[in-house]
Amino acid sequence: MSFDYITSILGPMLEGAQMTVLLFIIAIIASIPLGFLLTLAVKSDIKPLSLLAEGYIYVMRGTPLLLQLLFICFGLPMIPGIGEYLVLDRFVAACLGFVLNYAAYFAEIFRGGLLAIDKGQYEASKVLGLNKWQTTTRIILPQMFRVALPAVANESVTLVKDTALLYAVAVPELLHFAQTAVNRDFTIVPFFVAGLIYLMMTLVLTLFFKGIERKFKFE
Amino acid sequence: MAIIEVSNLKKSFGQLDVLKQITFNVNKNDVVAVIGPSGSGKSTMLRSLVHLEEINGGSITVSGEPLVKEGVYSKPQEVKRITSKMGMVFQHFNLFPHLTVKENLELPPRLVKKESPEDIQKRSSELLGKIGLADRASAYPANLSGGQKQRVAIARALMMNPEILLFDEPTSALDPELTGEVLEVMKALAEEQMTMIVVTHEMGFAREVANKVMFMDNGEIIESGHPSELFTNPKNERTKAFLTRSLK
Ligand SMILES: Nc1ncnc2c1ncn2[C@@H]1O[C@H](COP(=O)(O)OP(=O)(O)OP(=O)(O)O)[C@@H](O)[C@H]1O
Ligand SMILES: [Mg+2]
Repeated sequence: MSFDYITSILGPMLEGAQMTVLLFIIAIIASIPLGFLLTLAVKSDIKPLSLLAEGYIYVMRGTPLLLQLLFICFGLPMIPGIGEYLVLDRFVAACLGFVLNYAAYFAEIFRGGLLAIDKGQYEASKVLGLNKWQTTTRIILPQMFRVALPAVANESVTLVKDTALLYAVAVPELLHFAQTAVNRDFTIVPFFVAGLIYLMMTLVLTLFFKGIERKFKFE
Repeated sequence: MAIIEVSNLKKSFGQLDVLKQITFNVNKNDVVAVIGPSGSGKSTMLRSLVHLEEINGGSITVSGEPLVKEGVYSKPQEVKRITSKMGMVFQHFNLFPHLTVKENLELPPRLVKKESPEDIQKRSSELLGKIGLADRASAYPANLSGGQKQRVAIARALMMNPEILLFDEPTSALDPELTGEVLEVMKALAEEQMTMIVVTHEMGFAREVANKVMFMDNGEIIESGHPSELFTNPKNERTKAFLTRSLK
């Protein structure tokens, strides 16, 4: 295995990795706020809204992400009547699938974070005269995010690895280029290179969240 | 002059009548110690005063203003204004863990009171000095001992300038060697004529600092009076039995 060979495949693979990173960024930026809104919907006093949100979360977490991606890419266009308007660019469709799916997971994480907050926090806030909005934004949410942080970090690492599902809907990404190179050059080196690139990405992410956790340790 | 008047207060949780027609007054500058066995309704009584529990009947009046009148609550903003005359200190402190000691003290008045930040800061450093924690202003609650936490919780309640301070077993969650420092702060408040209602198992404190003791059992006030009287010469059998058990 020559150094030259690795540099020659590195170019296209890093190009594929760009797709991976792009999907990751879009998915994380959109699904965290959306997940948070879902948590609020689940917690809402408006019963139909909370039931809807719970149903949504149940379906998204109860079925494979791959199935959801295939459905959005290939299933939607086959719906009689409206299907022709639902033909999305593959990458856009994949982003949509990831965001919708991960929002459900983040919603569960945030809900768990809320459950972890002692009712004494609400009571102290009330006795001190804080209103509901002040209590939520200044007392509850900061603690919820703190509690949720390790789970959010974990889910983000999973998201990096899940981007490999782009392969299944034929969006050229890191794994696609590795597989192509393996078939073309009869060597498994590209798989190792791909593995290393994934490891690099998850390492950066892990360090990033470690940093945030340290900053919000409250000790 | 009565600052709190409670009459025929009733509270039940489902079928369970936790407070049965409770009536008592607290005068300005009183230190009232509330004692009684577990489950007798002491916490529920205290929590009803600050509207952490919704009562089912009776009246609560705070410095002449009705919080509830014969089971009917005043308008929400009135309830809020009236309950804001009272501060509460909880058994488990309930400090805000994501805020430093100083922020714990200053955030609530900043959000709720119309006061300049300078005035708020001035008061918080005064209070921190008073509870002996001036050097821990930037510490997080996680790094404080239980006794320190409870002292901060008292200071936080005082930041709102309450007319009355309620304590629900303020030392029960503390290691025995840490109760003294909290009781000292409470004693100092009593000496400054703070009106206080203290649910406590600390008979020594009740005897020494309170000017009135209320013994509750099974959702009723069985007996109340000056500690010198109630502790040495209890009239009711249940009071006697309780005191024998807890003073042994
Ligand atoms: N939220 C609630 N729901 C149902 N029952 C409750 C609730 N809060 C209190 N109770 C019941 O009301 C009764 C009185 O409780 P309370 O906490 O007021 O007693 P206490 O005198 O403070 O006891 P302790 O000394 O153990 O703190 C108990 O039987 C308790 O189980
Ligand atoms: Mg209690």
